[in-house]
Amino acid sequence: MTTTEPVTDDAREAAPGAVARLVHSPSVRLIARRLVAAVPIVLGVSILTFIVLSLIPGDAAQLLLGPEATPEQIAAMHRQMGLDQPPVQRYLGWLGGALTGDLGNSLVSGQPVTGELGSRLAVTGELVGLAFVLSLGLAIPVALLAAYKPNRLFDRVSMLVSITGLAVANYVIALLLVLVFAVQFAFFPAIGFVPIGQGIGENLRSMLLPAVSIAFPLFCFYTRFLRGDLVDQLRGEDYIVTARAKGIGPGQVLLRHAFRNSSFGLLTVVGLNLGTLIGATVIIEQIFALPGIGQLLLQAINTRDFVVVQACVVVFAVVAVLANLVTDLLYAVLDPRIRYGNR
Amino acid sequence: MSIEEVSELASPAPVYGGAEPLLEVSDLRVRFDAKGRRVNAVNGLSYHVHAGRMLAIIGESGSGKSVSSRALMGLLPPTARISGSARFLGTDLLSLSEREMRRHRGADLAMVFQDPTRSLNPTMRIGTQITEAVRAHGDVDKRAAFDRAMELLQLVRLPAPERRFYEYPHQLSGGMRQRVMIAIALAADPKLLIADEATTALDVTTQAQVMELLLELQERLGTAIIMISHDLGLAASYAHDVIVMYAGRAVEYAPASTLFSHVRMPYTRALLGAIPRLERTPHSLLPVTPGQPPDLTALPPGCPFAPRCSRAQDDCHAEPPPFAEHEPGHWWACWHPCEVGGPAEEGGR
Amino acid sequence: MAIVEASASPALLEEAGQGRFRGWLRHLELIFPGALLVLIIGGCFVWPLVAAVPDPVGGDVLESNLPAFSEGHLLGTDPNGNDVWSRILYGGRASLVVGVAVNVLGLIVGGTLGAVSAHVGGLLDAVIMRVLDVLIAFPSLVLTLAVAQSLGPSQVNTIFALAFFSVPAFARVSRAATLRLREQPFMTAARLSGTSGRRMLFRHIAPNITPQLVTFSMLSMGIIIVIEGALSFLGLGIPPPAPSWGNMISQGQQALSATPMLVVWPCVVLFLTVLAFNLLGETLRARWSGR
Repeated sequence: MTTTEPVTDDAREAAPGAVARLVHSPSVRLIARRLVAAVPIVLGVSILTFIVLSLIPGDAAQLLLGPEATPEQIAAMHRQMGLDQPPVQRYLGWLGGALTGDLGNSLVSGQPVTGELGSRLAVTGELVGLAFVLSLGLAIPVALLAAYKPNRLFDRVSMLVSITGLAVANYVIALLLVLVFAVQFAFFPAIGFVPIGQGIGENLRSMLLPAVSIAFPLFCFYTRFLRGDLVDQLRGEDYIVTARAKGIGPGQVLLRHAFRNSSFGLLTVVGLNLGTLIGATVIIEQIFALPGIGQLLLQAINTRDFVVVQACVVVFAVVAVLANLVTDLLYAVLDPRIRYGNR
Repeated sequence: MSIEEVSELASPAPVYGGAEPLLEVSDLRVRFDAKGRRVNAVNGLSYHVHAGRMLAIIGESGSGKSVSSRALMGLLPPTARISGSARFLGTDLLSLSEREMRRHRGADLAMVFQDPTRSLNPTMRIGTQITEAVRAHGDVDKRAAFDRAMELLQLVRLPAPERRFYEYPHQLSGGMRQRVMIAIALAADPKLLIADEATTALDVTTQAQVMELLLELQERLGTAIIMISHDLGLAASYAHDVIVMYAGRAVEYAPASTLFSHVRMPYTRALLGAIPRLERTPHSLLPVTPGQPPDLTALPPGCPFAPRCSRAQDDCHAEPPPFAEHEPGHWWACWHPCEVGGPAEEGGR
Repeated sequence: MAIVEASASPALLEEAGQGRFRGWLRHLELIFPGALLVLIIGGCFVWPLVAAVPDPVGGDVLESNLPAFSEGHLLGTDPNGNDVWSRILYGGRASLVVGVAVNVLGLIVGGTLGAVSAHVGGLLDAVIMRVLDVLIAFPSLVLTLAVAQSLGPSQVNTIFALAFFSVPAFARVSRAATLRLREQPFMTAARLSGTSGRRMLFRHIAPNITPQLVTFSMLSMGIIIVIEGALSFLGLGIPPPAPSWGNMISQGQQALSATPMLVVWPCVVLFLTVLAFNLLGETLRARWSGR
């Protein structure tokens, strides 16, 4: 057998020193590679935003001073805002600040953007986090039950619900939820936000409807995805037959073998969603008047507060890129095929 | 004559002399209905396996050899239509519910599959996959399961078992993976091991090592083995008894030594002729059996091999030959069997 | 050979037992969304031409907020006295025109970009892909918001704004499909027999990736229509008084408790339209992937 033994980590394990091992570890190298690849994307997004924003007609000075402002007043305002400098210089100045954590001051309020973003991000983060918990928490058991007996009643109903639900826009759900639970029955506040500081129960009550609006389409998507992947495995994979041949029960085959492998795919999908979900928060926060980052962005666009817009977009991009990065890394840590470098 | 009637003739089970058989399959039929087409995968298969013996089931793809063994294990999808009986120590496996069958799977009958790369879960440690099989039958705690797994890994001669226990399938070579598969199959001391093309995906040296291992384990543990293969040469080297299948039924059955010295069924002879041999003239063409494997959705009324057979006469196309014990211990289904000692190439047209 | 037997049987079995009912159902998968789309498209584009439908704009304020089934107003009127049924039909025109235009743009520009990028490879591919990565990391709604703001809300600008979303998406799909295609033996054969690059692109690649792009465009129709609704909802899409489903929902929201049906009607048609495109896309995908 010795001749057929593959080269395993023996050689690597023999390499002296923990540092050498760390550098040569596939996961560490993967992290490094991804991080390096993420930098130009974030940079590109910030440049693109800058270009797009400088193309937008109308400016904050004009809006702040009103239609009667003289060109001199506007020019003075521009100097004060730093808008009189050439774009490249302005961008580099902004980039320098951004790297040290200073995203500039709002053109409208004059307040530092970084501080404002922090509290806004917390609200949006809670919203998105809650939506993920709700959607995954429901989708996983439903998909498992559906895949346990494919094409039976439960499976069919859950597939019908999920394909139908995928066609419902999140703002439609939001309005219908408001209509039913807030207007008709007044179970939940229709709009407004209660910070966690004023009691976690009240906070959750104010967050539940918006979170459900975001979670429902996600739930439908995850259910379909997971159920499909599970059933494909149960039907087509040889290791499922091996597991069954051991004499273990169908529940264990589903959980220990099929779900285990599907969870890696699910993780990727969740990570990719996180990036696109940010777009959904803009409209949901608007409907429910949640002081999140999406609402901030919309306000800033309407007031031509480009410093704030720039900051919001960059934060979104960083979150999207980071989400993909973390997904890849989690995948690498959890999936042994990648963890040990697939030969 | 319909297929159903044909197989009536083929139903008597060949009796291999001696003690009570471990497994007695009789008149096994498996059918799939697909898109209005009916695929008759197994059409009245009967055989015996005795403890401590190795039975080889030989056939081309589509001959029903894999489907028939999966039917025994209850591993076919629930939509397969299965009939006949398979008495395993007095229990008819085919009449068991899924829940009852589960008690036998792994514990009484175990299976090793063709492709160890696809048959092991890629995201589970080797050790977990073995202990899972150990713990599937009987109340075994973690520690005992670990010990048993170690024992099994040593039994199948996997080098460095303590390390391999914590590794993943892709870190092992194909031969080592198949050893792990065998360890899994042996986890609960099965009385019958079905090796479904267990060596087909391996290179020739590894193939021999795995077969030697199976033989050795059989001697040590007394396990009966059904070896499913398309490779008659492999069967000749290792099996005690050989069944040749064609179009879902047995066409010849004999102890290995008898079969290879006294081959009677033209199809078996054609298979034998297709094995490359060292003594053959270099660069001469291997004889090829003409024609296509039979269409399982529309089997001919007569002998299913007749359209491809060089010895076929009118009666072969009219009525299927019965599968009967024409000589002691030697069964075949043919109206015009080959003469003993005839040239090996004679079978195909 | 055992692989063939083992993997063929479950596939065969999936078909087994489905019988005539399933066969009928399989066509239903195509008939139902198809009929729904014919109804929606016919209703929006043809019905106002053949039947007497009131104007969607310029209603009489004296006739505001009439309930459904009022005389001459099938679904009643909105606070401005405009006929809701008429606004739904004309609003659907706007949504469908935007959806089709954005998809055609995505299909042509994005599809070509992706195919060329994958086919040429090398530096060009790397540059195009990095740019697309940036566009994809760029929150699409933000980009469309910015474009809509800079160009001003109008139907044409909405189309351009949404194209920023569809072009990279189509390019990705097309690139992935082309890359898969390159692995095929007939592509190697064509390359080795000296087929010109342009001929490869038009005669070999284009016909083979079209089914995947068309399938994707069905699914993306749903997404585009939803985003168009979102833009109009936020007041950045098609500006009132011209109707669109999005701005109808937005207007209705202001009096949600008093006249909820003003929100419900456009929501229902939006849902049905997206559902029809999604179902059609799913069916096409399932059929073209040979399952």
